[in-house]
Amino acid sequence: MIAEALLLSLKVTAVATVAIVVVGLALGLVMARTRFFGKSVVETLIMIPLVLPPTVVGYYLLVFLGSGGPLVEWFSLEVVFTWHAAAFASFVVGLPLMVQAGKAAIAGVDPTLENAARTLGSSEPGVFFRVTLPLARRGVLAGSVLGGARALGEFGATLMVAGSIPGRTQTMPLLIYDAVQRRDYDTANLLVLVMTGLAFFSLWAVRRLGDS
Amino acid sequence: MSRPAPRTAGPSLVRLAAVVMALVAGAALVAGAMLGCADAGAGAGAGAGEAGSSPDEPVTLTVSAASDLTLALDEIGRLYHEQTGVDVTFNYGSSGQLSQQIVAGAPVDLFFSANRRFVQELIDAGVVGEGDTALYAIGRITLWTRADSPFEIEGLTDLTDPQVKRIAIANPDHAPYGVAAREALQSAGLWEELLPRIVMAENVLQALQFADSGNADVAIVARSLSVQGDGAWVLLPEDLHSPLEQTVAVIPGSPLAEEARRFAEFVNGPVGRPVLARYGFGLPAIRGSGADR
Repeated sequence: MIAEALLLSLKVTAVATVAIVVVGLALGLVMARTRFFGKSVVETLIMIPLVLPPTVVGYYLLVFLGSGGPLVEWFSLEVVFTWHAAAFASFVVGLPLMVQAGKAAIAGVDPTLENAARTLGSSEPGVFFRVTLPLARRGVLAGSVLGGARALGEFGATLMVAGSIPGRTQTMPLLIYDAVQRRDYDTANLLVLVMTGLAFFSLWAVRRLGDS
Repeated sequence: MSRPAPRTAGPSLVRLAAVVMALVAGAALVAGAMLGCADAGAGAGAGAGEAGSSPDEPVTLTVSAASDLTLALDEIGRLYHEQTGVDVTFNYGSSGQLSQQIVAGAPVDLFFSANRRFVQELIDAGVVGEGDTALYAIGRITLWTRADSPFEIEGLTDLTDPQVKRIAIANPDHAPYGVAAREALQSAGLWEELLPRIVMAENVLQALQFADSGNADVAIVARSLSVQGDGAWVLLPEDLHSPLEQTVAVIPGSPLAEEARRFAEFVNGPVGRPVLARYGFGLPAIRGSGADR
């Protein structure tokens, strides 16, 4: 049961983190390098899962992903109570951290350098991947670690959209909740230590990235 | 160095959009590939519950069950596995929450409710038919305290002792044992008085955990969770609450509905019934064996 939950957590977190990094980078780039009408509103909307109660995020996701929602109605994708829903919930709550860190890191890259690359004939993706991203890598890495760690720890919204089905959608945080209810304190203690260790390591890594 | 960056030559929205599109396309590809692989893998691999129905593959039944059944069904599930090789995975929770999940499309093969009402809701929602259900046990409630508790709890009136600060029950909004606990307190005329001291747990198992961890002084829980533990408990008279007619429903939309029906019959049959009795469940008279067709 512990191994299943661990594997599931890793799968959910891996998928969520890939999506967080890619979408978060794209949004961070847009936020750092463009101005448009209503930008502050868009930015606030991206950030809002950070401060909303998990139940509110969970409810929105249930409406969006659940039966009667656009995903089911338009695309016939039934993801509620599958690990896909857990990954989606993790993605939504982890994304703001990546956007924030990515935006700050990209904004910190001197546009002169990007322009120099352009005058030397680099294509726009070339500028991004060979100039901007390497220069912003610390912030981007820190953002992905934070976003990934948040994705790994996601509980509330996941419980609402994915349930807590052992072996299917029961990730480590959900298994801990379940184990405490069952008074299976051995499992709870072990998993709490694992999660604390992972969280500590993530934050420590982010600090190191910021320091040196 | 003092020359300001030539903003006009900065990235145009069009160029940015190109990069963003490339990134999003990449994300979609990666996500699509991973989801695709995972789904293909699930069909062949361990999580074969929803996909696999070929007889060679190991079958895993996913069973949602009221949390008062935690101990009894774990045991019956093991016995079933020994006899048939079929794995049974249990998803325990309050009956109300579990039935909500099933209505919302949770991939569940079988549902053991702690009462009749939440199965009726599935029938009303058109998810299961009348013939997919069967009564399998009658639940009873107890007053539970830790063995080292300073309180001598013999009956509900002892709860009025002002030293009893917190009383844990399952949430009556969606947990049948919480409904029974509330009805018992109402029958005793104590509900209004004790309400400020009631702590609501998400399900009856959590109510027990609240008291077992010492954070609540006493809990009103299922007899099935009391009999094998090390707590002190007294059985509450059954006329204090409406009967907990624990009802099982096979989810006919499940690809494993036939297997689920066999497990329901096993629980309600010669192997399952003695186990249920041992955990303090009342047993219904046998009418057919298990889920009626």
